[in-house]
Amino acid sequence: MELTIFNGSPRGEGSNTKILLEHFISGFMETEGNSYELSYLVRIKEGEQFVTLFQEAEHILLATPLYADAMPGIVKAFIESLEPLCGQKDNADIGFIVQSGFPEPIHSRYLERYLVKLSARLGCRYNGTVIRGAVEGIKVTPEFMNKKLFKTFYKLGITYGKTGKFDEKLVSQLARPEKLSRFQFWFTRIISDAIYWNPMLKKNKAFKKRFDRPYEVKSGSTESG
Amino acid sequence: MKVTILNGNPDTSNHTFDDYLKNLSDTLTASEHNVTTLVLRDMDIRYCVGCWGCWVKTPGQCAARDDSRDVCRAYINSDFVLFASPVIMGFPSALLKKVQEKAALSVLLPYFEQVNNEVRHVGRYPRYPRIGLLLERSETCDDEDIQIINDIYARFALNVKTTYGFTRLTSDPVKEVADGINHL
Repeated sequence: MELTIFNGSPRGEGSNTKILLEHFISGFMETEGNSYELSYLVRIKEGEQFVTLFQEAEHILLATPLYADAMPGIVKAFIESLEPLCGQKDNADIGFIVQSGFPEPIHSRYLERYLVKLSARLGCRYNGTVIRGAVEGIKVTPEFMNKKLFKTFYKLGITYGKTGKFDEKLVSQLARPEKLSRFQFWFTRIISDAIYWNPMLKKNKAFKKRFDRPYEVKSGSTESG
Repeated sequence: MKVTILNGNPDTSNHTFDDYLKNLSDTLTASEHNVTTLVLRDMDIRYCVGCWGCWVKTPGQCAARDDSRDVCRAYINSDFVLFASPVIMGFPSALLKKVQEKAALSVLLPYFEQVNNEVRHVGRYPRYPRIGLLLERSETCDDEDIQIINDIYARFALNVKTTYGFTRLTSDPVKEVADGINHL
């Protein structure tokens, strides 16, 4: 099977989406005869080519981070470019991966509904959406903590490569935990401040400015809402 | 009230949409509101590249020195912000979406808090504008599309520390939409 993959991350080759996809792809390629073509939507200048790739594909995977509760602007621009393909016969089947920085899957469930509808709009058979939270930290957390996540994406790739479907058990594993316990939250918060946000702020000499309100109108003349 | 209208219509030939917003702006001004309309397609706004510059380099401002800074300034200093766009492929325009991303990040802090059992970012400002959505239906846009968009924007409102006002359509009379804003 030939899979046409679109990486929708605005960070392109430096994205966490790319890391997740790498593990998925190595599982997918375990099946003999499988091949794939990978495009980065952030290369906006290649937009026309993306439409052709979409049009000619048999199987499509669109992987995207969650930006402000929906798809990033570049992914929406890509979707708009697909408008001429709506209702066309023989469109590919399509599956999605949505990853968020927020740990809970609930944040991505609303975009999932949009993606189901989008598939129907494009006349594509919908293959499901894999949702994974807490992905932002994967580059800074120790390798052993990511092992299970990467292995799950690898296994997901294997079954997708064999059957053309996402394994439902793996999908529900990835969407856990549904909610963070009080303890899990405090752990996430302390770790993310200590090893992620604050070191970046300090490196940029911006730590003292971290609470700045550059747009605040000081006169106090604004009415209250 | 200070009202900002974000015109996310990417299509210069779609005069009906722009005329509707003009009409709405005039109606609101007549009821003593201070209205600013930003025509996003005429502004130089780059896509968010996920660099976190607005949190860790130039806190509270997009690190790209583009016109999104003007949008964010108008946004946070408003009492009400209307996100306005034609529906394209079942969602507001990419033009509006890219502004939404920049506005959201600039007005929040990187740090986390837990609200109603969900992780969110801590607010950067003491107060936030209420938001609403005005959509123009395309031929292929059905009620389910509107519902999906409405629900996504209601989530967005939670994440930007505010309550969601309403989703209205340009098929609604201007006066009704203006009344909706008046009654917030």
